Amino acid sequence: MGQEAELFNDFQLDALKEIGNIGAGNAATALSQMVGRRVDMSVTQVQVLKTDGIAAFLGGIEQNVAAVHMPVYGEICGIALVFFPLDRIGELCGMLVGKREDDPFVLSEMGQSAIKEVGSILTGAYLSALFRLMNLQMIHGVPGLVLDMAQAVLDTVLVELEQKEEIAIVIETQFLENDKKLTGSFFLLPETGSLRKLFNAFSKTLGLSGNG
Amino acid sequence: MDEESRVVGIAEMTVAQSPQRLVAFGLGSCVGVTLYDGKTKTGGMAHVMLPSSRLRSGEAPPGKYADTALGILAAEVEKAGARRGNLEAKIVGGANMFSDLPQSAPVPIGLRNVDAVRQKLAELDIPIAGEAVGGNRGRTMVFNLEDGRVEIRILNQPMQYL
Repeated sequence: MGQEAELFNDFQLDALKEIGNIGAGNAATALSQMVGRRVDMSVTQVQVLKTDGIAAFLGGIEQNVAAVHMPVYGEICGIALVFFPLDRIGELCGMLVGKREDDPFVLSEMGQSAIKEVGSILTGAYLSALFRLMNLQMIHGVPGLVLDMAQAVLDTVLVELEQKEEIAIVIETQFLENDKKLTGSFFLLPETGSLRKLFNAFSKTLGLSGNG
Repeated sequence: MDEESRVVGIAEMTVAQSPQRLVAFGLGSCVGVTLYDGKTKTGGMAHVMLPSSRLRSGEAPPGKYADTALGILAAEVEKAGARRGNLEAKIVGGANMFSDLPQSAPVPIGLRNVDAVRQKLAELDIPIAGEAVGGNRGRTMVFNLEDGRVEIRILNQPMQYL
């Protein structure tokens, strides 16, 4: 990659990883309560990417996804996205509501709500962790779900943010239930004005913490 | 992707000639606009993001806005050998993909993009030969300069042609 290296240094990426770990722990607790079974979560990687690198990160420009999208308000405004590979959605439903679904395009109401809820739980947990570590207060709005090409989702988000290019914070999270593994990727795309605030918060917090 | 295909990214414009193909991947609320002169097999594509440059803040590429992109694209296509009077347009995209959310604007941005493109084409006196716009699904478009045909891919739906 290397692209993200110019954007965030190692200390900042370490801080982001810590935010990810705290968030994933809390999200796992919330999700386990929701499904009534133990589901573990762990952060597999954190990155800071430009939007033109997101499709590649997700597996290619023609990658198809289920995307939960939410507006983010507060000290940082923007859009949060949680992507799951479309071909794993049936299994995800199995994990969440105990019933595997075969065709992602005819998902049950229950399946759809469950996927939105997972996106919402993950986003809430990462935003809270950002608050705890970086003192940035944010809340997210009602989640929506689309099944489409990753690139089309990004295209729409960029139009919403009126940017041709954006920086995204990415926290890739693995869901584990017994021997079943699934990956969901959380993206936070801050508005242009908010991006500076986010960088400042990272610099300030890490600066105050002494030797980094 | 083969070597005859070129990707037209967000807010970009590209001019091409047969046997090339121009591709815009994953149009959501953006709009892909092709201009084509079938006589000289010359044309171009713009990947427009927003309706109007009037509200822009700071510097922005002209390809980003419907009102600035299309005049420039038409001029570039002419420079490459097309005759203005032969030009025909096709427009694809302008979906409202997040349609299940409460809308922040009275008219979704995708539809405003489509309207702005239609209006600008009318101003430039370029007829619209085909449209696949609106709805709530993303579209990939492939513009073949050999015959001007536009292929549209929508996830889990049969291929469409304009």
